Amino acid sequence: MTAPAIQVESISFNYGDIQAVKNVTFDVQPGEILGFLGPNGAGKSTTIKMLTGQMAPKSGVARILGKDITADDPEIQAQIGVCFEEKNLYLNMSGLENLDFFASLFGIKDADSMEVLRRVGLADRAKDRVHSYSKGMRQRMMISRAFINKPTVLFLDEPTDGLDPVTSAAIRKTIKEEAERGAAVLLTTHDMFEADELSDRVAFINEGEIVALDTAENLKLKYGKRSVKVRLRDGDGVREEHIELEGDGSSARLAELAASPDLMTIHTEEATLEAIFIELTGRGLEG
Amino acid sequence: MSPKLTWKVLRKDLALGPRSPIFLWAIVLPFALTLILQFTFGSLFNPEPRLGIVDGGDSEITAQVEDMKGISLTLLDDAEELKSNVEANDLDAGLILPAGFDQAVKDGERPELQFYISGESYASNRIILSVTAIDLVRGLEGSKAPVTVDVVSYGTAGLPISVRLTPVIVFYALVMAGIFVTGSNLVEEKEQGTFMAMLVTPARIGDILAAKWMLGTLLASVLAAATLVLNQALGSNWLQVFVVVAVAAGLSSMIGLLMGTFAKDSTIMFGLVKGLGIFLFAPTLFYIFPQWPQWIAKLFPLYWILEPIWRVSILGGSISEVWVELVVAVGITVALVPVIGLVARRVQAQMASAG
Repeated sequence: MTAPAIQVESISFNYGDIQAVKNVTFDVQPGEILGFLGPNGAGKSTTIKMLTGQMAPKSGVARILGKDITADDPEIQAQIGVCFEEKNLYLNMSGLENLDFFASLFGIKDADSMEVLRRVGLADRAKDRVHSYSKGMRQRMMISRAFINKPTVLFLDEPTDGLDPVTSAAIRKTIKEEAERGAAVLLTTHDMFEADELSDRVAFINEGEIVALDTAENLKLKYGKRSVKVRLRDGDGVREEHIELEGDGSSARLAELAASPDLMTIHTEEATLEAIFIELTGRGLEG
Repeated sequence: MSPKLTWKVLRKDLALGPRSPIFLWAIVLPFALTLILQFTFGSLFNPEPRLGIVDGGDSEITAQVEDMKGISLTLLDDAEELKSNVEANDLDAGLILPAGFDQAVKDGERPELQFYISGESYASNRIILSVTAIDLVRGLEGSKAPVTVDVVSYGTAGLPISVRLTPVIVFYALVMAGIFVTGSNLVEEKEQGTFMAMLVTPARIGDILAAKWMLGTLLASVLAAATLVLNQALGSNWLQVFVVVAVAAGLSSMIGLLMGTFAKDSTIMFGLVKGLGIFLFAPTLFYIFPQWPQWIAKLFPLYWILEPIWRVSILGGSISEVWVELVVAVGITVALVPVIGLVARRVQAQMASAG
């Protein structure tokens, strides 16, 4: 097993009396996407801010590529890419100028900013000033800026928040490509579908604490129901039957229904990540 | 700190400058103030008296006017052209000297002298040109003035108000470019979140603040120097003037950086500039009112940069006369560096928490 790109051991942070992050521990391997799933105010962004050097943990240790984040080392910063939740772009600069400027800060001499913009579908608007961009275009700019230095570690804070499905899908595709390239990705979201689709592993975070961390599949198996829903023709109508896969005789009943000429559909009834989150924390993801 | 990264941030700010209304306003203001104040009090629109001469025979009067300082001479070939120029107020006055005029005067023939005055010319210019013309004719005749004029000055000898207002305009150039542009540029980065975006790259807070300081220093230096040139106050020691202007710009920009670091948003930045305005502006009043006790001016920080500019640039003195002021100004600038460092780190933490 390779050394983790992100290694976090019991970090905590408080805003005055409010404990925002409590003893959080996890790691992210190169090429892995770890989804941080939790509602607003759960501590997702605070964790990212600590890991990107925007603020120091009050306790605990975190390492990026083996180096302590509190060292404020430009060498670490050179290898990370950050997509902030707020769209902090230079509005009076064009998309191309924005990327060229940040590429220069990373010391990249021959940055192919145009190619990066092409990846996120902004090549045709590259020379327009960012203030003329729509919300979705600005978000794509944010993503492209996070990619400009071909980072080894990517921090993406709610990268598709509030976007239309088409833009979201395009952004998810580029995130997957970055992980396939070998980048370790820490992705925060309160969108369970996004976490499910993108993440190799998912961490549920609530009130500053990680309450569960595993692959989405394992979480569903561990916390979900193993059952199927069978829909059958019933005269002029439709009837549904739920079969628990755990119980005795469930296989025989399922085989019987499968052979029935009235069978219409069979659906698995695995738990959603949101249902598991609610089961674990007693609150929803949109809270 | 990395000079390379500082340069990259500075280059970006210089490129973005012309797209910022505050940056443009900082450039325009000293020029606008110069025009307004010079128009009201000064000599920018009050040029030398303009005399036109049509000389039919190489008169000595023409040669003497050519040698005179303070009169703008235009030689014309045609009397009608001269008259139309005077009528259009392109000339304050016109003189037609026919061939043999000098000899006729010397022979005591009392020839006719055609002297045209523009109806729109300044009264002062008419008087100067009329008296000069009569005096020159009398000189040609070889006679002496019938009276001896004894000039007695009344009132305290001093500099004209147009000169004493120059520090005010220079002050505005320094405040707008050094303080306001520097401060608001930094505040804008904080408001837009781009300050944080830079901090997650290899650029460190010191690189960014150094770039902002350089931006203000550069702009304030150029504008202060341009203001001095425009007000004909650059003096002959331009190298020494450059030094005092650079020191002044450096301190102004450092004050702007402190305000920009401290201010969370544009509203607070404007409030700071407005609130501290009189404290910053106070020393300029002592140049307008020289009868006030001058030691009071030393209590204000910008005195230490305005006084060297006043003495070296405007009065044409030497830099050795103001070394104490320069040392104090540089001292204040350097002393502000750790203060800004402390405030910046506190503000960075606040920004991260707020974001």
